[in-house]
Amino acid sequence: MSVLQRPIEQYETVATWRDGLSKQWGGDPLAEEPEKLTALAEFCEFVGEEPDPIVHKCFRVRKSDGETVISSKWRTIYADKIKEFRTRAGGNMEARRTAAAVQSFLIHNGVMIQV
Amino acid sequence: MEFQEVVGTRRSIRFFDPDRPVEQEKIQKILEAMLRASCAVNAHWLKAVVVKRDDIPLEELEKMKNPVQANVIALAKVHIYLYADLSVVNRVKGARLKQLFDVGVMAASHGWSHKFVDEVVYPQILKPMTESAGYSVAAAFDCGVAACQGLLMAFDLGLGACLTAFNAPIVNKITKVPEEWLPLYSLNVGYSLEGKVAGGQRPRPDFAEQYFLNSFGNSFPRDPKVVKELQDSKLIQQQAPVEGRREQVRQLARQLGLPE
Repeated sequence: MSVLQRPIEQYETVATWRDGLSKQWGGDPLAEEPEKLTALAEFCEFVGEEPDPIVHKCFRVRKSDGETVISSKWRTIYADKIKEFRTRAGGNMEARRTAAAVQSFLIHNGVMIQV
Repeated sequence: MEFQEVVGTRRSIRFFDPDRPVEQEKIQKILEAMLRASCAVNAHWLKAVVVKRDDIPLEELEKMKNPVQANVIALAKVHIYLYADLSVVNRVKGARLKQLFDVGVMAASHGWSHKFVDEVVYPQILKPMTESAGYSVAAAFDCGVAACQGLLMAFDLGLGACLTAFNAPIVNKITKVPEEWLPLYSLNVGYSLEGKVAGGQRPRPDFAEQYFLNSFGNSFPRDPKVVKELQDSKLIQQQAPVEGRREQVRQLARQLGLPE
């Protein structure tokens, strides 16, 4: 059974991704290159999580002042997962592009991540 | 390139050709430029360890990456890890200052003598300085001056470069530097894929906000004729945004398998 409980485009974080890509590049890159959504869906299956919780876990509320800050721990966990995902996909340029789509999803949701 | 054009052409390059090697002699020239930098009390705090990316076992290279710096580590062929050797002042005890006196650089005309260095400068100024809170800041300033010379040399040699922070606990296992060396930055070097314009000169604050004449608040007058001269000498170049830059970045991201 899929971990996605609804069409992937309906997740809030995916909408944010779409909006970010459109603002940056114009048009609707997710519609023009649906393989990006496919890559994200595959990653979600790979880690067994839906898109929104993946992004939400990358942030935490700092106890000292209540500010929302990046969770280094979770960002590192997902960076490692992306590397693993990339390796499983073959580690070639196509695999890099697939993994890059997942990074793009996180980046446009405010998670600066390089792998 | 002429000096002013080198200064004007320097950009922080983030897209390197991951496959094109950097010639050994160019790396040496970068280091030689650093060694010629101005430095307080001739101490020369800056130490550098050149690490060639392809010499690092893949597993180690992966460990050096972190979520905010992985791309440059992966793409730049050469990483020059820069450190401040904070022990140098108490190790040389003024000897490098006396050397300047011996070769006629510093003289009695400005109050210098071996006796002054041995009895005043080292024991009363330099040694206490090394115990003060601001010591590492002073050392890091001079290291920055030297690093900048190396950075500019890279561009003069047709290379691209950028300075980034690095994860010292991991990198130090590879560089094996003494514990007292203070990690500063990595000068990442390689051939740029961004072209010479590389997006144009980066946005900068207003000149008048930054520089003053005689006292703060009285901005240093900026003469348009001088600006024009500097445009002619290419110290001042086309400013970002440059037409087509976004497309260039997108194309490079695709070429290298990076996110968009």
